[in-house]
Amino acid sequence: MILDKFYAFVIAVTTSSVSCLTYADIPLYPTGPSQDSAFVRFINGTDVNLSVVAGETKAKVSLNVNEPASKYYPVATKVKITGEFSDGKVSNPISLNVKPSEFATVVALASGSNLKQVIVKEQPDDFNALKSSLALYNLSSTGCTSAGLLVVDRSITLFEKVQIGTLQRRLINPVSLSVQLTCNTKPTGKVLDLGLLQAGQRYSIFAVPTADSPRIFFATDTIAR
Amino acid sequence: MSAASLLGLTFLVIGESHMSLPNFLMEPLSDDLTKQGALVYSVGACGASAGDWLKKTPVSCGAWRTGNGEVVRKGRDASTTPIKELIAADKPDVVVIIIGDTMASYGKPFSQAWAWENISHLTKEIASTKTKCIWVGPPWGDDGGRYGNKFGKTENRVQFMSNFLANNVSPCTYIDSLKFSKPKQWPTLDGQHFTLAGYQAWGSAITRSIVNLPDIKQAKK
Repeated sequence: MILDKFYAFVIAVTTSSVSCLTYADIPLYPTGPSQDSAFVRFINGTDVNLSVVAGETKAKVSLNVNEPASKYYPVATKVKITGEFSDGKVSNPISLNVKPSEFATVVALASGSNLKQVIVKEQPDDFNALKSSLALYNLSSTGCTSAGLLVVDRSITLFEKVQIGTLQRRLINPVSLSVQLTCNTKPTGKVLDLGLLQAGQRYSIFAVPTADSPRIFFATDTIAR
Repeated sequence: MSAASLLGLTFLVIGESHMSLPNFLMEPLSDDLTKQGALVYSVGACGASAGDWLKKTPVSCGAWRTGNGEVVRKGRDASTTPIKELIAADKPDVVVIIIGDTMASYGKPFSQAWAWENISHLTKEIASTKTKCIWVGPPWGDDGGRYGNKFGKTENRVQFMSNFLANNVSPCTYIDSLKFSKPKQWPTLDGQHFTLAGYQAWGSAITRSIVNLPDIKQAKK
């Protein structure tokens, strides 16, 4: 849509120092996209190395135990996202749709000798470059139906009552933190050192099941470029 | 504001349609900054959002200017230049970004994830060059007079967009243009683009703010 006539008229009545071509060339551009962006990432919640392979492109991403979180990948919202998790022996198919504004997290978990998955979606509205954004995902088993997170040595509760298969997210000051999971208000597992959090950065802590008690690990929410 | 307050500093000013035509913001802003002693490189690209300055992106019109020299206009062959290339070429002490209206999604739901990702990517790109950065937010519009509010710019949305930018442009310093005038005070052609008087007032207010920023005072030492 071009504002040729409009601007050609405006130029005639507002100034004589600029040619008609100047204003006539200004288009009525869109202010923002037709729909919001959407993203998906993949998490290895098992204790063995996994890979995830995209259904269409066959692109492969390693999800090692020591680096269990992929980046967030921008995705189209009108097509189904497919792929599969694999540990080289067994695989688990991935199939989901993501809506505009959604950040979807697909987590692979152990299920006996097989794999299963949990999909958790969020539509964040806490974007802030002056603070750090931290989320707790409760992906643990029935042993931790209500998860929380304590700041070690400060008697501060960052999260509480995070139900299985859900997440909570909040803004915090960019400081150094060590945290510990709570299950039904009881401190559980090892202390996790998050280091110095960065302003403007988004982070996630995942509580996943193990043979003993749930464990937590930490990932930076990075967007793939 | 004393003359030559910006002596010795080089500015790169990039922006959207407001910066893309001679009688819009580019001319009065670069004139004002130049009067303060700055060397000013101005580049405008109609409709360009923050992410469009990360890679060469075709736009429908644009312009560039050095100091108070002649404005060079680009038509349908216009495009953005990646910000790192501009910084490498012009070696600015300060990058000034005039972007807000093109990302405000006037007349439709605000695309928050998209805006956050675009804005944070651009600010990080600039920060990676260790260049100071100032982000100038959108000003109030009006009803567009006899030509109507062509872009659907509303007071509520521009206030929301300004707040969003204030929270998300760090480490750039944010200049809130909404503080420069009252809603509808500066007349527009189409609800968004000002008459020359409005652009002169906006350019003057931006320059005053820049001169008084602690970061800028520090940079001159």
